[in-house]
Amino acid sequence: MRRLRLGSIPLYIAVAISGIYVLLPLLSAGEFSLRQPATHNYGLEHYNWFIENPDFVHYLWLSLGLALGAAAILLVLLVPTAIWLNLGGSNVRGLVEFLTLLPLVIPVVALAIGAQTSLPEFAQTNEFVLSFMYAILAMPYAYRTLDTGLKAVPLKTITEAARGLGAGWLRTIVLVVTPVVRSTVLSALFMTLALSLGEFTLTSLLHWDTFTTWVTTMSQSNILGAIALSVFSLVGVFVLLMLIGLFVKPASNQVSLEEE
Amino acid sequence: MSRIEVTHLDRKGTPNWGALTGRLLGLILGLAPLLVFMSVFFFWPLWNVLWTSFQDNYGKFSFENYGEVFQEPYLTAFKNSIGLGLISAVTSSIPGAILAYLIESRGGERLRRLVASVSSVLANTGGVPLAFMFIAAFGMEGSATLFLKLLGINIYSGDFTLFSFAGIVFVYTYFQIPMMVIVFSPAIHGIRNEWQEAARSLGASRLQFWKNIGLPLIFPSFIAAFLLLFASAFSAFATARAMSSGTIALVPLMIGNLVDGNVLAEQMNLGKALAMGMVIVSALAMIPYLVIQRRAARWQK
Repeated sequence: MRRLRLGSIPLYIAVAISGIYVLLPLLSAGEFSLRQPATHNYGLEHYNWFIENPDFVHYLWLSLGLALGAAAILLVLLVPTAIWLNLGGSNVRGLVEFLTLLPLVIPVVALAIGAQTSLPEFAQTNEFVLSFMYAILAMPYAYRTLDTGLKAVPLKTITEAARGLGAGWLRTIVLVVTPVVRSTVLSALFMTLALSLGEFTLTSLLHWDTFTTWVTTMSQSNILGAIALSVFSLVGVFVLLMLIGLFVKPASNQVSLEEE
Repeated sequence: MSRIEVTHLDRKGTPNWGALTGRLLGLILGLAPLLVFMSVFFFWPLWNVLWTSFQDNYGKFSFENYGEVFQEPYLTAFKNSIGLGLISAVTSSIPGAILAYLIESRGGERLRRLVASVSSVLANTGGVPLAFMFIAAFGMEGSATLFLKLLGINIYSGDFTLFSFAGIVFVYTYFQIPMMVIVFSPAIHGIRNEWQEAARSLGASRLQFWKNIGLPLIFPSFIAAFLLLFASAFSAFATARAMSSGTIALVPLMIGNLVDGNVLAEQMNLGKALAMGMVIVSALAMIPYLVIQRRAARWQK
């Protein structure tokens, strides 16, 4: 019935335009990456080029490792804090919210130029410093995701119920808290992975090479290969971010920063 | 909140040591790691930027670097970056707001969810792959360019190129419009049908409702979203770097050049002063954004 309403026409037009706007660049880039200028045919030449390139696997693993490192750091750091705050443990909630939002206020370039000169020697010579920096950059998003997810469950009530029924703390954490927070933690994890995998600014300003900076370097010698790589990594990140959608309830399925 | 202090004392006024140690333990485990981590990897680098920006090349206190910021070419770079932020916020916030309005007011539940998840994916698509995707699509030989030509639209009939100011604004809309939809939708969603009905039953027309109730309610959220878009375009680095290859003077790119050492040694702390300039501009946009969002959230629930 609602389909026939005249009032919905602008909506359909808007959705159609948006759909074209979103898909056109993606599909065009996909088409472009399959072109083979030498033979005027379509083929997987450019994809084969990077798959056969040993650097591809090397940098992909490096980026994945760094992203996993960032996610691990962030979860170890934020999950206990977020659970503690949602158990009503303290009146520092406002302070934690403020702190975790700060990286959003500071341009990444400014943080990078500071990190370049101020981090201790051992951190500057080890690429895993990037995991720590990525964790800072992903913190506002990861904390929001965790906090919104945890607010949606009556964490305090169920832990008290478990304790009241005689479960010890360990039992409560393993059997009650963990299953309840799992989906929230997973979505914070994917969020951090996605942001870290695509990070370019800090990485290039700190003079490290990861997957994204390698793609940029490659583009100078093989632009078609770089485009194929970009399509590959965009699709990869899209899939990763879409996975978040599977884990998060619709109401909190967004990276917006408003208070509940 | 402050009543918690009272609970540390039992009736006779002696501290309840159990509760106190519990709280202390909570603070140590819950807050201290975060503080330590942020101090090392966030506050310390930023503090370093701040103080070395006030040093000349010999480590003496000086305002010299800040004097440079207001000289060419850096002044132009700031003007360009702020201009880019503003223009890109205008070009993304208006279509984004219209889209958010149509979807929130007329879309079904399924459509709303689809748009929300697609938007959150696109809003996080920035950087180098996005730049290359647009080069492939809308470059001179790009597939989308050729496709549009078939439809009779030649985007290169004027002096448009992707590697220009307009080109960068165009690319930014790809993640900024979705960002606008995400941030602005809750504001429209928050305008309750009951309010419209109440206004109607008190004799207000549709126009009057929007003029006196609707718009004043969503206006702060619009400004907040606008500021967020401004800050994101103002400080974006990766896409601009990959697209312009240094042909457009933007502050983040200039800082990048200074960091890469493509400059004279006597300018080593100039980058820090430029970075502080960026921090100030960005904070001027982001802090009001966060404050407005917080306040608006009270009635959006």
